[in-house]
Amino acid sequence: MLWFGAVIDKLVLWWYARLFSFLIAVFLSFPKRQRMSHNNGIGGEGWLKITEEPEFPEHDFFEKGAVFPVRIRHASATFLDDAMNCIRSISIKFAHNRYKSPFDLEMNTGETSLFWSAASFMQFAKKRNEKWGVEYVEYNRHYPEGLEGAKKAVRRHATSFYNLHYYAKTPFLFMGKDKIKRYAKYRIIPLEDVKESGLEYNISDWDMSNQRVLPHEKRGRNFLKYEYEDRIKRHGASYRLQIQVRTASDDEDPEIFNNMVPWNEQIYPWMELATFHIDKVLDWKESTLSVFSLNNMPKSLGVLPAKSIFDYNSLNYMRKHSELARKARILSLKIFGMVPPIPDNDNRNYSEWGA
Amino acid sequence: MDEKTTEIYKACLKETEIKYGYGDGFFKPRLAGINHLEVGHSKIISNPVTILLEAIFSFYKNLRRRVQKLNALLFPRRHHIYAKVKDSYVTGRLMHLDRAEMNVPIHNAEVELWARTKFTFQWKKLGVTVSDNEGNFEIRYTLREARNFFIRSIQLEIYQPTDVKYNGDRPSTTYRVYHCEKINKSDLIGLGYSVNTIALPLWEYRTDIDLPRAYFPENLRFTPEVYVQGREDALIQQLIPIELTKQKHLFQIKKEPGMLTLEDIQKDYPENLTLAMEKKLPGYTRGDEWFGFRMMNGMNKASFMPDKDKKGIYHVKFFGAGDYEHNNEYAFPDTDIEFEIHKDKTPLPVAITFTGPLNALNKDPFQTRTFTRNDGEDWLAAKRLARVCGAVCAEVDEHYTGTHVNTEQFAIAAFRNFRKNPVTWILFPHLKEVSLINAGADKTIIGGYLPTATALTTKGLVNRCRDILGVHNWKGWQPMEVINETHTYAKAENLFWNLLGDFMDFFFEKYEKDIKTFWNEVYFFSEDLVNHSVPVFLSELHVEKMNASKKERYERLKEYTHFQFGYHPEHSAEIVHGKSVAMSSITKSKTFTRDEDFNNLKDACRYAIMMATFSHTWINEHQYDDLGEILYSCGGLRFGEKESGVIGPESDPHIAPDLTRSTQMLWFTNFLSRTEYGFITRNEENDIHPYFIELLLKHKDEFMELGVDIESIESRTNI
Repeated sequence: MLWFGAVIDKLVLWWYARLFSFLIAVFLSFPKRQRMSHNNGIGGEGWLKITEEPEFPEHDFFEKGAVFPVRIRHASATFLDDAMNCIRSISIKFAHNRYKSPFDLEMNTGETSLFWSAASFMQFAKKRNEKWGVEYVEYNRHYPEGLEGAKKAVRRHATSFYNLHYYAKTPFLFMGKDKIKRYAKYRIIPLEDVKESGLEYNISDWDMSNQRVLPHEKRGRNFLKYEYEDRIKRHGASYRLQIQVRTASDDEDPEIFNNMVPWNEQIYPWMELATFHIDKVLDWKESTLSVFSLNNMPKSLGVLPAKSIFDYNSLNYMRKHSELARKARILSLKIFGMVPPIPDNDNRNYSEWGA
Repeated sequence: MDEKTTEIYKACLKETEIKYGYGDGFFKPRLAGINHLEVGHSKIISNPVTILLEAIFSFYKNLRRRVQKLNALLFPRRHHIYAKVKDSYVTGRLMHLDRAEMNVPIHNAEVELWARTKFTFQWKKLGVTVSDNEGNFEIRYTLREARNFFIRSIQLEIYQPTDVKYNGDRPSTTYRVYHCEKINKSDLIGLGYSVNTIALPLWEYRTDIDLPRAYFPENLRFTPEVYVQGREDALIQQLIPIELTKQKHLFQIKKEPGMLTLEDIQKDYPENLTLAMEKKLPGYTRGDEWFGFRMMNGMNKASFMPDKDKKGIYHVKFFGAGDYEHNNEYAFPDTDIEFEIHKDKTPLPVAITFTGPLNALNKDPFQTRTFTRNDGEDWLAAKRLARVCGAVCAEVDEHYTGTHVNTEQFAIAAFRNFRKNPVTWILFPHLKEVSLINAGADKTIIGGYLPTATALTTKGLVNRCRDILGVHNWKGWQPMEVINETHTYAKAENLFWNLLGDFMDFFFEKYEKDIKTFWNEVYFFSEDLVNHSVPVFLSELHVEKMNASKKERYERLKEYTHFQFGYHPEHSAEIVHGKSVAMSSITKSKTFTRDEDFNNLKDACRYAIMMATFSHTWINEHQYDDLGEILYSCGGLRFGEKESGVIGPESDPHIAPDLTRSTQMLWFTNFLSRTEYGFITRNEENDIHPYFIELLLKHKDEFMELGVDIESIESRTNI
């Protein structure tokens, strides 16, 4: 009977992922021309070079010294106001294209996440209940890990997209040249040794759901995007892509896949994977049309298989299966035209377009 | 008393002895609870509709009991925990529901996570834990067990200990689900799920009164405790005839008051001790010997304070209405009875001095009149007034305050804090139901009968209770000193106290390790006792600003009450909100550190059990002996309109209680003395430690010689 249960679990997971993608496509991406969350962003392009002295196991894709074109997109989730208390992100693809690429990654600020499985993500989506910049009140009340993850992830006082630390959190497969099965986690940090900005300390549980701009806020709705644009125009922005690697074993604890539990850096240190330099900023249209997907990965670096909606790897499974929503948004943009840029007006605390 | 009189007394005692049977009658409606009794217009059996409703309710209760039994049989609660890898948890915090702030955690409370299956409705236990000192809890469970397709619902249950049961000498605590929190199955998604703060009205203190009293919410689901069925049955069985009698009188008073006399009312109720004595020895109960005997060994169990100057002379004092809010209907002066006590003889009154108004004409509170044996009829009237004042003081100070409210402050603190500590096993059986009966008394006695039948108003009664509670402390308390051979009350009290001490030694030695392990509960118990204790008696008064008469009165009052209640002010060292409070602290540490604290706990438990059992039983069961004859004693003598006031003959109906108050008094004294349930040696609920019973039974004859039937000592204050 165990196999039957396993099949049911897989079917439920598949159904969850497909249903979710379908609902997003039908109710959000197509009619509103929106991404699921990270609408407020700015893109850039440059070049990436794999480190000359890799400490991680040899891999066919990450050949030492290899150079790739890169396109990135920084964003604030989920509000259309840079001054709000938001999670900041970076998406990267190893190509100068809108979609096609051999390798894509999506990362957010914070070493841990706000959700940890497909089941928890659905709960997260269900319990958003946003109004005037206040959201996830119920979710934060009931899920202590989610609340802690949120506290660690938000960057209200970020001074630049550049000086933040971004983590992929959920591990991926890493099958090197030696064919030994390993898992990998990725992060992106500034090349220069600069202090991370925007970190919040001692946020009370009650205040966490309030992401509104502060009273007497002087920063504009687009200040982070403008800052990044100016930074790139002046001298560009250089980043480090780093990797953690651990070997798979038969008796491994499922908790190693838990994105709420960082791997011990003393045992699994962050190793240099590559550096990249962004020297060009993409305009609003190109940034909006850029699409990043975990399907853009070599098989040896792909998403780990998930067994059920409670499996920690189910999160990446869902990301991988949300292609329909991405396509629906692009189709909609083509049919109905580009969404307008976010205006520099005083309509603060909005997450909906058009305000 | 000579030999012949003693024989007559014993015969009368036997004739009027109250028996407690437990047989069921044919027609026996059950009550939802005795708290809905009302003075004068009782809801019980007043018309056929009520009877029918009670019968339907009885049927419903029986049916409900059977359904509950069937439910338990078909859907058992097995305590096996279904868990492979406990990969997830439910967390939260338990707090007392305080109306002003939420800052008191509920510690050591058992919290369980249960699931129910879809098609067979079986229970599955997913996890269990206990809350910590801050009220936090975390139940670890297996996510896949909770999210199993066959699971229909999930609930978090918070348990509160309610009872203790003994299997031989092995005690166990009975828990009941105090609160149930439903959890959506789909909300359990792995890792943590927080139910946040669950604030429960669990043994909360009342905030509308400056006394350590339990709050009973209107929502019965959250009532901190309920009576056991046996207690309700005993009540109903005994209550029906006297209730019908009272109803008949009230009907007659309403329709044709001229057709009813005090004699008629008296005849309708069972004969009491003084009436039985009067039949055999006419005039004896109004004599000096009986007066002294009953003062010493009757309901009053008065405290005989030696005179500072005269050897063999003692004083018994009853403090009257004084500054407490009172009406102008009834006399309640300060009373000082001077007794001479010869070796091994019954005390004989020499003089009685009253301070305060004795008639409706002169209201000077400091007027004084002294009566002696040579005053003929006035001496009889003075003794009657002294008996009445003594009865009010015994009921309000000794009975209500000294046993009921005093025990309740221990009960609340114990039920709020003891869950795992073995002290639970000795305290709970003796402290249960006192808060319930006190809540009932608030309506029926303190807010009902007494303000209409005595000089004190409800406010006056409550303030007096608060003051008198200020001389009640477990530390340093000792039973009454035996004056001479005739002082049987003090002898019995000492004997019981010593046996209780033996039992405490036995119990604390046996469970010493666990008592020390769960010491945090003792700490919180002590903190609640002290923090909710009333201020030390008269400590809030500015005596220095009073006039000489008042100042002198308060000095006397303080001196006598300290003596009467065995209170030692030097032990009241705790300051709460800037006020010195009566209760002493047991421990100041959450973990066991000092042997002295262990002895403190033992002493506090011994004191609380003493008050709840022997001390209460004595007054309660002697009420009908000393307050069962309207003209002999009552709650208050009316001033009337004559200059002689309350110093008048028994034949004057204008100073005696009126018809309504008379039938109510006899109803109450019958009700309180006759509807007892829960005796130590009978152990009806199997909740008394067998060694305690064994100790008492071993000394049965010794007690009997002192006029105490050990079988009649209640295990708890529940009436």
